[in-house]
Amino acid sequence: MSASVPMGRPIGAQLVRVTTPAALIALFLIFAAISPTFRTPGNILHILVNNFSLPALVALGMTLVISAGGIDLSVGVAADIAAMLAVTLMEHGSGLGLSLIAGIGGALVVGLLDALLITVFGISPFLATLGVLFIGESVQQLATNGGTPIYLVSNYPAAGLDYLAHGQILGLPLTLWLVALAVVLVQVLLSSTAFGRHLRAIGAEPRVAWHSGLPVRRTTWLVYLLSALLCGLAGLLLSATVKSYVPLSGNAFMLDAIGAVFVGTTISREARPNVLGTLLGVFFFGMLHNGLLLIGWNFYWQQVAIGLLVFIVLGISFLSRRLQTAD
Amino acid sequence: MAQPALALRDLVKTFGATRALDNANLVVERGAIHGLIGQNGAGKSTIIKILGGLYKADSGSVTIDGQTLTHVSPRAIEHLGIHIIHQEALLVPSFTVAEALFLGAEPGIGPLLSRRTMRKRAEDIIGSYFDMMLPRDALIGELSAAHRQIVQITRALLNRPAVLVFDEPTASLVRREAHRLFGLIRRLRDEGTSIVYISHYLEEVQDLCDKVTVLRNGRDVATLDPRDTPLQDIVSLMINREIGDMFPKSAVPIGKPALSVQGLTRRGHFTNVDFTLHAGEILGLTGLVGSGAKEVLAAIFGLAPADQGSITTHGKQGAVGSPAGAIRRGLGLVPEDRRGQGIALDMSVRENTTLASLGKLTRFGFISRRREAETVRQLIARLGIKTPGPDARVRDLSGGNQQKVVLAKWLSAASDIYLLDEPTVAIDVAAKVEIYRLLGDLAQRGAAVLILSSDLLELQGICDRILVLHRGRITHRLRPADTTPEEILAAATGAAGLGESIAA
Repeated sequence: MSASVPMGRPIGAQLVRVTTPAALIALFLIFAAISPTFRTPGNILHILVNNFSLPALVALGMTLVISAGGIDLSVGVAADIAAMLAVTLMEHGSGLGLSLIAGIGGALVVGLLDALLITVFGISPFLATLGVLFIGESVQQLATNGGTPIYLVSNYPAAGLDYLAHGQILGLPLTLWLVALAVVLVQVLLSSTAFGRHLRAIGAEPRVAWHSGLPVRRTTWLVYLLSALLCGLAGLLLSATVKSYVPLSGNAFMLDAIGAVFVGTTISREARPNVLGTLLGVFFFGMLHNGLLLIGWNFYWQQVAIGLLVFIVLGISFLSRRLQTAD
Repeated sequence: MAQPALALRDLVKTFGATRALDNANLVVERGAIHGLIGQNGAGKSTIIKILGGLYKADSGSVTIDGQTLTHVSPRAIEHLGIHIIHQEALLVPSFTVAEALFLGAEPGIGPLLSRRTMRKRAEDIIGSYFDMMLPRDALIGELSAAHRQIVQITRALLNRPAVLVFDEPTASLVRREAHRLFGLIRRLRDEGTSIVYISHYLEEVQDLCDKVTVLRNGRDVATLDPRDTPLQDIVSLMINREIGDMFPKSAVPIGKPALSVQGLTRRGHFTNVDFTLHAGEILGLTGLVGSGAKEVLAAIFGLAPADQGSITTHGKQGAVGSPAGAIRRGLGLVPEDRRGQGIALDMSVRENTTLASLGKLTRFGFISRRREAETVRQLIARLGIKTPGPDARVRDLSGGNQQKVVLAKWLSAASDIYLLDEPTVAIDVAAKVEIYRLLGDLAQRGAAVLILSSDLLELQGICDRILVLHRGRITHRLRPADTTPEEILAAATGAAGLGESIAA
């Protein structure tokens, strides 16, 4: 146990918080210098819609989950199940509304399963959601003869779906409005509600939360349901954009979302997951995918570069934190 | 005089603001059983952890057989023949007896015995010292506490120790097993092994030891021959008298029963605990580690429910199955493990204060910032919490102020039955006095206070009544005016004659 004396914050502690924004700006400038296409307003909007929005929805849910001390490896499954149900129903002639609601319902079942395993059976979030990930992947493969995509070819509510994917309100894509809504929702939950305070206490000190009589189980249920809801939304938007359901395509969300939340913690003094940080993290990944492509790196080298950059950002951050707390 | 087998000199160890050891000495002669006694928190386990290389002393020296160690590590002291039988057997539950015995002693390397010889030797030791067989394929996790201890002792004896240290060895043993252990310890002494025997059961120590060192507040206040010293004198030495008059007493009229406990039993921990706590009353509860006192608090607060018996709060009887249920009935617990259970260190004073009472400060789930700020401001002022501001992290506060934040949490939740577990441990004297004042203030306002403490002067100073638990039962109900710390301690250690006693 160490002494609990107040101490001044060394400069390192302040520096660490600008690591992520600085890396973001530096990368932006580098890409802009190399690729003229990168810096066009059209491309920036493209990044926001295609590389940022959907991962942002998933990562916002993940922000809640990680704040509550958990982890959700089943985000891709929730997105995929939503897409699978909605696309299948539409392909069989169901209306847009019913299909979307069924999709969201499917995603919520995934969240329910996560929460059930974690709260009732006491399985650690990592293992519980890993199990759901495996089950969810198998279910998709069984339902699609081993992974055959389902394309919307005829007889589907094309106009409604198009609006979902490409519609605009006040000149901005609908997708971005949905992200903005999710941002407000998660931010308000975290900062202004008893639910948010409780989930942060549960994440920070589960035993203190229990000793203080907090509704630990109820909070945990809600957290995983909210995460699944946001993932389901991302899954539906994805299928609306590509007019199809491609099995297991949601898995790409998982690592980016977890990565974004942790990169985002670096801008918080207490190293907490936070909405702004998560958004920066998602943008960081989205810009990397887009920028590396435009400067002509092939896909496999992109993955290596992204991995290295994540190491660098987190490395700098944790190293300076360690220097800060060493006594 | 021959060189001592083991000499610890002028040990100092501080944890934050607390001085756990303050120039403590322990010198153990060869071939003697040397007792080390003291109240909870006197520094016994700190000394042993320093000797074992688990803690590093701030200053002082460790000398083994004339050789002063520059660096104390578990490996170094085992090499010099010191073996510690820890209170909690440090054995891996999923290992077999044979694996546990030979852990760390890889056979066949250098001059070490071969595995076969060691196994033979282990069987010899178990057979000759304990007169029994232990199936070598049994899992450690399946063994009884006594058998786990035998495995630990055997492991030490395999290395032919010069000094064997027993840390509270009888805490988890039944009487018959304890007697067998005493026989073993005497035999080892007669064979030339030096023994350090740590216990707070005084009659055990008097019966067994050749010399006894008494620790108090991190200092060795006396080393004496227990056979020539009356038990009462040893008890007096153990009691801390340096605090002086620091208990702001105030007469509070005792009100209606707030908490009533009847026939409360949790097998293996406590039996038939009965008491009633009234509004305006401060009731003390004391007992040694392992007496069950802590578990009684845990049962009342719904952390580890009792098997039998009833708990009645404000005239309503019903099981308490969880802390949330206890809090709804007006209970609040200030736990001993403040940092693990009482406060969230990385959350702010404000967030910690309202953690258990957000329901009262929200409308449609939204926290009213204004009402929250107002509540927190009032409590900071009322409790005199020294903090840079309501948004400072609790981690940055002193121990005493952290403790006040825990109290603030329950005040904010409008609790009226306060359970406190060692509330003044690791808090400086000035903050202690403030905590006493706050408890008196709570009682004055009609709250009921149950305080579990090992600080006997504290109990005598602030309580209206004191209950003493010994081996899971309430053996004494005392009034502070009619008793002395010596009497309370004698009751807690079983030296007062009532209750069970091992050596009797």
